[in-house]
Amino acid sequence: MRLGSDGFVVEEGLDQHYEVLKELGDCHTALGHFDRARQCYEEAALLAPDNPGPHVGRGVIGLECGSMDEAERAFREALDADAACAEAWAGLAMVFQQRRQFSDAFEMYMKCLQRDPDNLAALLGLFQASRQMGTFARVIGYLEAYLDRHPGDASVLFCLASLYARDGRLREAEDALQAVLALLPESGDAAALLDEVRRRLAASPAEAHRP
Amino acid sequence: MTATPSHRGPLVTVLVPTFNRRRYLAEALRSLAGQTYANFEAVVVNDGGEPVADVVAALADPRFTLIERRDNRGKAASLNEGLARARGSYVAYLDDDDLYYPAHLAALLDALQAGGGCGAAYTDLYKVHCRVRPDGSRQVLGKIVNVSRDFDRFLICHFNHVLHVSLMHRRDLLDRTGPYNERLRVLVDWDMTRRLAFFTDFRHVPRVTGEYYAPVGPSDRLSYRQRLQRQAYLEQVLAVRTTRPAKPWPKMPDLAIILLAGRMDARAAGVLRQALLWTFMPYRVYLPLAAEDASRLRTDAPVVAVAPVAAGAGRAECLDAALGAADADFAAVVPPGVAPGLLWVEDALHAAVTSGAADRTAFLIRCAAGAPPWADADWPPVVLRLDALRRARAAAAGAPLAHALRAAGIAVRPPCDGERALQFDRLLQQAQAMEAEGNWAQAAWRYERLRARWANHRWMDERAARALFRAGGRDRQALELVRRLNRAQPTVDTLLLEAKLLRRGGAGDEAAALLERAEQILSGKALP
Repeated sequence: MRLGSDGFVVEEGLDQHYEVLKELGDCHTALGHFDRARQCYEEAALLAPDNPGPHVGRGVIGLECGSMDEAERAFREALDADAACAEAWAGLAMVFQQRRQFSDAFEMYMKCLQRDPDNLAALLGLFQASRQMGTFARVIGYLEAYLDRHPGDASVLFCLASLYARDGRLREAEDALQAVLALLPESGDAAALLDEVRRRLAASPAEAHRP
Repeated sequence: MTATPSHRGPLVTVLVPTFNRRRYLAEALRSLAGQTYANFEAVVVNDGGEPVADVVAALADPRFTLIERRDNRGKAASLNEGLARARGSYVAYLDDDDLYYPAHLAALLDALQAGGGCGAAYTDLYKVHCRVRPDGSRQVLGKIVNVSRDFDRFLICHFNHVLHVSLMHRRDLLDRTGPYNERLRVLVDWDMTRRLAFFTDFRHVPRVTGEYYAPVGPSDRLSYRQRLQRQAYLEQVLAVRTTRPAKPWPKMPDLAIILLAGRMDARAAGVLRQALLWTFMPYRVYLPLAAEDASRLRTDAPVVAVAPVAAGAGRAECLDAALGAADADFAAVVPPGVAPGLLWVEDALHAAVTSGAADRTAFLIRCAAGAPPWADADWPPVVLRLDALRRARAAAAGAPLAHALRAAGIAVRPPCDGERALQFDRLLQQAQAMEAEGNWAQAAWRYERLRARWANHRWMDERAARALFRAGGRDRQALELVRRLNRAQPTVDTLLLEAKLLRRGGAGDEAAALLERAEQILSGKALP
């Protein structure tokens, strides 16, 4: 029993059965038991028809099984239930990315990040899509904003450094990579990229002297 | 494995009042028929609803008796009619839309026969939130243990934390409490549990042994519909709170509130109203009044008594007149000059009841906030033992109260925090406020402290584990706590919490097994 600030009893547990089924579906998905997971999501959807969660779960199964049509259908159902569901936008983006429709994937990742700027999967997806498309400017802004909130996230910092490097912003790339190595001294990828950036800086005196 | 039913032991009478719930009644009765403790008689009382004879007959069980009544007279009348037929040494209750798990009666009987002098025992129940489909079937949304509260005599006078379906008590206690109050339309159960608390202690068995159903949205329950009529509901609340069974009360303190009004004016009427509204423990208000003022008194409250005094009598005479009439364990002296705002005697009463030095201490009553606590230093508003007050009056006859108390060696002080009534609930609310603000670690610490000081072990452990889980970085501690709970008896909530912790720790397969078990409980395929 929980009392609200007004002293009245607050009802708890109205979504408990849904939560158990959704959690169970997620567990079985992670364990690769997709049939049981699907069954759980379907039962969860009956309990909470307006909740996008079970549809997202089915979408993830589609992605895991390589069934992009099933995944797309499920993520779109999730968005029908709740157009602001960031996970569904990210899922849809992954479907497009798998289909090598990078421009669509890019847009979907952006929609996800507008709703949830901390969605790491979307950030990294956006990074990959942008590499495929050769466009960096919008992505860099998102990564920088994310790092302002999560300064210790080495994986995102490394992505940002590689985008700086590809965009020719070598001094910023060098700073970012040094920060990555301070966090993860064993990171071979960061060390290799730092070597490359420093070689390019040495070969380009104008760049090297830019503040 | 199904336990073999036990036919040995005392006879238990289970009362099953029913009204227009044929659909659920069959399931309720089957849950009773399947008890591991078999020596019971069930008295089903149809309170003028649709016929249920076929439902009872379908059980083909001679332990079940049906009383069919054509007129609808309410739950209290049904229970009284059932009790008139009862032969058992113990009485238990089952509502027509609720369920017992197979060991329900056995668990209660074990608790009652374990010694310690408890004449009543109760278990925990799942509150089953459900959506009722058009065909009447129930879609389960959650099964939670909404109330798992150790017995608290002060609390039972405020709030019914003993669900009737979870209760079993000695039948002979009803000779002391009297029958169910048939004038009540709601709170029938609370009225009886409160009255039982005058005569016995209750033993709490923190184990889930059944289910009661709570449909979402507007309910067909009488209690729900009646609560919508606020004024009528409050009158019923007051009727319960002012019920005083015949004395002696071996377990309940009685309080005499001595209102030294002087004149029966608007101010005195305001203070009297506050006393009636805000006193939850059993009490009687004694009003020392001259005949002229007594004639101006307008109240039908059964707990107000006039102590006649001569016109122009002083405070000391008024107090002595009230003392002459009062029959109680404790006295609350409310002098004139108390503002007719909040008058909260419960903290001082609780301090007096629980203090080891009640003979030598008078506890100050909390009066309206912001106003001086009392107008006259010679006449402090206090609660103390009635015999101590009489001793003080004898020590300094005719003197103001403060002088008399001093003369009798009785100290006057406010109750400290730990002595106040419902302190557990106050601290619990603070912990919940911490949760609402996201201070999970602090809330967990508070739950641990509450557990250490006020028991309610299972409930507090569960809240602490949940808070530790939300706090982050304390998963090991949370897991230890919730595992202990699940070893004792898993509930849906504790299984879900352990699963979340395991999943976060990377043990997905173990988490899935726990969640499957939770799902089985929710779908009725397994018992907790």
